[in-house]
Amino acid sequence: VRDLYKRVIVVGKDYPKGPDYVREKAKKWFFQNKDLSSERDIKRAVATGRAFIRDEMIAAIQLKKYRVMRERYKVPEEEALAENRTKS
Amino acid sequence: YSVKVRVKADKTGVDTNNVKMSMNPFCEIAVEEAVRMKDQKLASEVVAVTIGPTQSQETLRTAMAMGADRGVHIKCDQELQPLTVAKLLKAVAEKEKPDMVLLGKQAIDDDANQTGQMLSALLGWSQGSFASKVTATKESLEVVREIDGGTETLSLKMPAVVTADLRLNEPRYATLPNIMKARKKPVETMSPEDLGVSIDTKLKTVSVAEPPTRQAGAMVADVNELVAKIKAAGFA
Repeated sequence: VRDLYKRVIVVGKDYPKGPDYVREKAKKWFFQNKDLSSERDIKRAVATGRAFIRDEMIAAIQLKKYRVMRERYKVPEEEALAENRTKS
Repeated sequence: YSVKVRVKADKTGVDTNNVKMSMNPFCEIAVEEAVRMKDQKLASEVVAVTIGPTQSQETLRTAMAMGADRGVHIKCDQELQPLTVAKLLKAVAEKEKPDMVLLGKQAIDDDANQTGQMLSALLGWSQGSFASKVTATKESLEVVREIDGGTETLSLKMPAVVTADLRLNEPRYATLPNIMKARKKPVETMSPEDLGVSIDTKLKTVSVAEPPTRQAGAMVADVNELVAKIKAAGFA
């Protein structure tokens, strides 16, 4: 569980909404689950957390970076298309 | 890449104090391509190279977390011009003798787009810049390049210099376990003097300024007002 929290915080440093937002949300979720006692429930919660990091957080980070880079470094055709859109 | 850029008050450059540095996005794509080639058993080893102050080693660790086998850190605290970077990389390439050097097409701090091309010329190697697809065969490298008006496909004899464009691939994210594993991978540190390269430059930055702020647009009530404003501005 501690390892999961560490992972969330480390990935949170790159998260678009900022590390403080991630820390707040993470603390809330971890505290919501603090009373889990069966090994099965705990393992499932940790697995859900890891999947969340992989499928939601990292995906959001990579998507944001790709979109920003694509916007900044347009290919000549994309530039022409974008200009046409603003004209009409 | 997401840091707000501020010009220094004396206009000699950009303020880099307390700025969080990270790998150049185009170079991330280059590292990813190299690691993919190793995953596909087309390459036997991936070596990541960086030039910069002590903190640059963090970027090297990210490259190794992505899959590079070892790192080379050329320690230099001064800001360098593309030609100097190319000369340093040439010295490393002559030492390491790789079949291929992969770089990002340009750095997002100066957007020079020169290092890869200069490196290829200095080494006398073939080059494939703005690569959007790289296919390796036993004898050659097929590179699809993004050019004005479309794409161009080249067949390069190795050794070759390839620079990565945005659409080459989607770089993997270096996860915490991989970052921890990367701490054990070897990093060789050296200075420009060790490589016999002088970091003197003939270029001097005269001034750096922010782009002019956009003027606010004005709303007009109807076409007549628009025409009147256009005429008043002198465009009739």
